[in-house]
Amino acid sequence: MRVDGRHLALLAASAAALLWAVPFAWMAVASLRPGVPPDIASLTPAGPFSLGNFALAWTSGDFPLWYLNTIVMCGGILAVQLATVSMAGYAFARLSFPGLDLIFSAFLLQLLLIPPLLIVPNLATLVSLHLYDSLLGVMAPYFASAFGVFLMRQTFRAIPRDFEEAAMLDGASIPVLIRHVLLPLARPGLVAFSIVSVTAHWNEFLWPLMALSSPSHQVLTVGLASFASGAEAGSAWGVVAAGTFLVAAPLLILFLVFQRRFVSSFIFSGIK
Amino acid sequence: MTEITRRTALGAAIAIPAAAVIARSALAADPIEIDLFFPVPVQGMLANKMKELIDRFNAEQGAIKATAVYTGSYDDTNLKTRAAIKAGKPPAAVIMSANFVREYVINGDVDPFDPILEKDGKTPTEFFDQFWPALKANAMIDGKVYGIPYQNSTPLMYYAVDAFKDAGLDPDKPPETWAEWIDAAKKLTKPTGERWGINFPATYDYCGWLTSAFVMQNGGQYYNRDYGGEVYYNAPSTLGALTMLDTLVNKAKVMPPGVSDANTCTSAFFAGRLGMMLLSTGSLSFVRDNMKSPYKVAFLPKSVRNAAPIGGASLILPKGNTPERQAAAWTLISWLTSPETAGEWSRFTGYFAPRKAAYDLPEMQKFLAEHPDAKIALDQLKYAVPWFDTFNTVAVRKAMEDQVQAILSGKVAPADAVAAAQKSADELLRPYVEQTALKVIG
Repeated sequence: MRVDGRHLALLAASAAALLWAVPFAWMAVASLRPGVPPDIASLTPAGPFSLGNFALAWTSGDFPLWYLNTIVMCGGILAVQLATVSMAGYAFARLSFPGLDLIFSAFLLQLLLIPPLLIVPNLATLVSLHLYDSLLGVMAPYFASAFGVFLMRQTFRAIPRDFEEAAMLDGASIPVLIRHVLLPLARPGLVAFSIVSVTAHWNEFLWPLMALSSPSHQVLTVGLASFASGAEAGSAWGVVAAGTFLVAAPLLILFLVFQRRFVSSFIFSGIK
Repeated sequence: MTEITRRTALGAAIAIPAAAVIARSALAADPIEIDLFFPVPVQGMLANKMKELIDRFNAEQGAIKATAVYTGSYDDTNLKTRAAIKAGKPPAAVIMSANFVREYVINGDVDPFDPILEKDGKTPTEFFDQFWPALKANAMIDGKVYGIPYQNSTPLMYYAVDAFKDAGLDPDKPPETWAEWIDAAKKLTKPTGERWGINFPATYDYCGWLTSAFVMQNGGQYYNRDYGGEVYYNAPSTLGALTMLDTLVNKAKVMPPGVSDANTCTSAFFAGRLGMMLLSTGSLSFVRDNMKSPYKVAFLPKSVRNAAPIGGASLILPKGNTPERQAAAWTLISWLTSPETAGEWSRFTGYFAPRKAAYDLPEMQKFLAEHPDAKIALDQLKYAVPWFDTFNTVAVRKAMEDQVQAILSGKVAPADAVAAAQKSADELLRPYVEQTALKVIG
């Protein structure tokens, strides 16, 4: 029975992986096919193939600048978030202060708000802070993350108090405790949150479109749309696929390179 | 234009060349900065081309430094413009979907062009006579000019020559009436989806645009073009048009059931699996570049009359800008809509140039001679009708689109569809109607 169950799970996982991989495979295939071939939906076309679409996509916009801006934006958001979510997560997990539950509920409520609702108020705030049309302005609303705080709170709570008590006996202050005891133990949580944060902001379209205007501040998603979207005419799928590939490539490469470390980090946390 | 010409004239009047040099460098040192929001509704290198145009504008004069800001689709551009106005950072000018202009007027978010036109010594009507007449209804609202047409389109019928020959139809005689159209579609349709007779995009926006075309071809008005609080969804002309669509899909079965988008239509057309499609004239360049076998274009078929609704975008002046920024925006708008620039943009995109004089230029005459499809698109303008615009345009448009999509999916009968569409449209329009037409006086 046990073997059957494992086979079944493997089968289900493979099916899910296949389902997940098909769009990527299609994107890769389509990006290599010039023009608008009649069998554009095919995953196994006969050809011809060329890199022309990539050249066309690359020259359709300022990709180096878009990469740079996107990396600065995602990196900046993540750097600040890691500090804020670990501190707030610690406060909600370990400290007790008046109004704790109320404030935590307010944090969770924030998760229920759909972001487009906040576009106009956020823009007005940016204008009054003189941050409209700046990368810092795009990042600012994300410096605190309700999801991150919740995740870190749960992660901290899962760590046995013995570690902290031992450190406190040795005279560690709270900042030292967080920095040298809790954060290393909470690494799996931080890694998981980082992946979620970077992918979310890397792929975000609407907010950068609203908050940025100058072409010199443009990010990848908006740049891609500037030549790949078009409701009134049809689409040159090859160029769209090539452009999408260029946008997604850094995250794909990053994941492939760090795959072992991500996975081992999760396994480590499981064994601990 | 007034600003620069006056200053340049002043500079020229000063006899000492050195003084002119100083005057010019003083101008160049402190140009006024303005931003232009622009959407990219058709695919391709339009964003690059727009940047190229604006760079040229900046290089040709030193008083204004314009920046072209890409703002997504027409809907995204609408959203961003509204948000920017509310946040107190209105752009100097926006290329706005022409059917949204009325709502900006209703909400008081735009300034009229009339004072600027008066300074140039033109009445609004005189000014507008330079454009194709059908563009007027979406740009001149309550007697004032709120939009300067920039890039415009109408739907057009594209048909595959090989498919016509294969079906025993004469490619030089495209169907002219609904009856001929359906008859040709029947001949073109091969069983099991190998080739369909007709298809057109019925996704949001496209669906409403084409539905209004069918209703107006059927003699209807579809909506009150002078007042944003009324639509004629539950009218015989509308019912007839929707019944015709029901026939195409569910009775004659010459059109694929369900809702297709523009990509589905063009992909099938390029692959020889579609005989005729209705698509924007804004797609002319795209089809020309990608269709390998011969194709032709024709007017939309008629029922009672020919009718092709206008689409596309106009330049507007959002409220909240300083007079200096507005003057600079007007200089840019005048340059963009000049016959030369408008003609160049038209040749690049496939849109028609809204300014009639653009077609008197030799480049344009040459282009039309080389591209008979663009000529037919232009000829159809004599049947052009205004674009659907009301209070709360998008929601009211969707009230009908949801019903048309249900018909195309075989889920509702036309008579029920028009009644349901009218009911939800009336609900959506009520707040505006109660404040205007039904306002209790005294």
